[in-house]
Amino acid sequence: MTRARRGTGLGTPLVAVPPAVVGVAFLLVPTLALLVRTPWDRLGAIYRDEHVWTALRISIESSLEATALSLVFGVPLAWMLARLRVPGIGLARAIVTIPLVLPPVIGGVALFNGFGRNGLLGRPIHTALGQDLPFSYLGIVLAQVFVAMPFLVITVEGAFRISDRGIEEAAATLGASRSRIFLRVTVPLVMPAIVAGAVLCWARALGEFGATLLFGGNVRGSTQTLPTLVLSVFQTNPADAPALALPLMLVAVLVLVGLRDRWLRTAATS
Amino acid sequence: MSLDVAGGVRVGEFDLDVSIDAAPGEVLAVLGPNGAGKSTLLRALAGLLALDTGAVRLGSHVLDDPARGVFVAPQQRRLGVVFQDHRLVPHLRVVDNVAFGLRARGADARNARAAAHTWLDRLGVGELARRHPRQLSGGQAQRVALARALACEPEALLMDEPLAALDVQTRAEVQGGLREHLGAYGGPALIVPPDPIEALLLASRIVVLERGRVVQVGSPAEITSRPLTPYVARLVGMNLYPGTADGDTVRVDGGGSVVAADAPGGRVLAALRPSAITVHTEQPHGSSARNIWTATITSLVPLGDRIRVGTSGELPATVDVTAAAVAELELALGRQVWLSAKATDVTAYPAP
Repeated sequence: MTRARRGTGLGTPLVAVPPAVVGVAFLLVPTLALLVRTPWDRLGAIYRDEHVWTALRISIESSLEATALSLVFGVPLAWMLARLRVPGIGLARAIVTIPLVLPPVIGGVALFNGFGRNGLLGRPIHTALGQDLPFSYLGIVLAQVFVAMPFLVITVEGAFRISDRGIEEAAATLGASRSRIFLRVTVPLVMPAIVAGAVLCWARALGEFGATLLFGGNVRGSTQTLPTLVLSVFQTNPADAPALALPLMLVAVLVLVGLRDRWLRTAATS
Repeated sequence: MSLDVAGGVRVGEFDLDVSIDAAPGEVLAVLGPNGAGKSTLLRALAGLLALDTGAVRLGSHVLDDPARGVFVAPQQRRLGVVFQDHRLVPHLRVVDNVAFGLRARGADARNARAAAHTWLDRLGVGELARRHPRQLSGGQAQRVALARALACEPEALLMDEPLAALDVQTRAEVQGGLREHLGAYGGPALIVPPDPIEALLLASRIVVLERGRVVQVGSPAEITSRPLTPYVARLVGMNLYPGTADGDTVRVDGGGSVVAADAPGGRVLAALRPSAITVHTEQPHGSSARNIWTATITSLVPLGDRIRVGTSGELPATVDVTAAAVAELELALGRQVWLSAKATDVTAYPAP
């Protein structure tokens, strides 16, 4: 079979081999280096540092809260983008896409000018919350929502777009209100996409750095997350930085394994 | 409460404009070729499609009347709808699918489930209650869908049937059960059967749609004995000749003529059963049949215990003969034969 295909000139083009090998090596070497250069002997000492555990706890808590907020606001938003046929919906979709293409650090600047003390909505926010958002714990959660929610919205929107409208029609003839159809039929139908989108969103929120650094600051014990801690450690004690990458790499691997089937399926059907 | 629609709706290039009514307890079958508008009609009645003109009424209750700005959403119509593709909710168990409508209308979980079990038992699928829809066969899914529609005690039943996808055995079982359940149901039922035989078995009245228009309405007996269009004639297996009657002779459009025992004047349709035609290999002499014509055999298709013979000629006709007759007369494709039919077997009636 392989022989026959090679004979007909449909085998691997030799010209493609070297760039492909160089490409994968380029991606592999730095990741490998993290493992090789981790100071395994001092791992215990590094992780006994209270600041590390605090940063890890803040990272996990804030990223989970950001994911929860993204689900609450993002799933209905995804439905609107997928189903509404009104002028301006294209614009709304573009707005959702902005954080995907904007450098996160610019996202931080944007958040400052939108929700900061002197931002567009600074005064009403201060009145409502009794505090300012920048350099607060809530600030880093919102910075993560800003950067990560679009991943969820885009994933779920695609699923709403292709989900079976016929079952919703059947539910309507059975007397189910629109809200009931949305909650009991439509959302469960796209649940796999919601889970996948939430995982992507959470992974992105956990690794968020640029917007978090600018909008949240890098205040030990309140707004320092694992990624911003890595910056501080890298500036003072670069040899210890690879050790702090371990939890983040572990998450990356788990997400990859968890979503592998889905990605393979998507690739196969598209 | 009767269900009636008189009006039209445009969907893209397709235009449906009909006047149909179904009385309480009546099973009305809607027949028509693909794309005739059967599903569109059901969608308009169910409220999944709004009329552009006319009105839909359920008893004295107006469900849709664009001229008066009335449109009742499908949720409020209280119609039971069974879709061709069942449309069971995939993540809900069978019992919860059936309870879904009751829950949506405010029943508490326990009562809704109890009612759902009752309906599943009544339709003979009680043992499937804990399954998920993907674990059902086509016939089972249809019964569950019917149970789900009936559980809400709808004012009228709309049923788009999928039997084409079922195997013969299941199909026979489902048909048997369906007749029983439709008989027990007191409201008007509008069904779209997959084939005319089913319509003849189930329906008290048949409506034939073609290209978005009603071309014929009548009892199964009327439809089968007096088809009004070539489509209906093919559907019920009749030969149909449109023409002009002059005395007892009908001059057929496109040439030839047939003699009918009792023909009205003017434009008529002359219908002739395939089994009423006799095939001869030579010109029949001394036959009492007043219609004798020549034809060429163009097809021979087995149909049950008979052979359906297609012929062309001045009066193209479909003829049913026994297999023995085919062998005895040495009938074969391309063979010239003589056909004869008695005038009393030709029914002539005014053309629409």
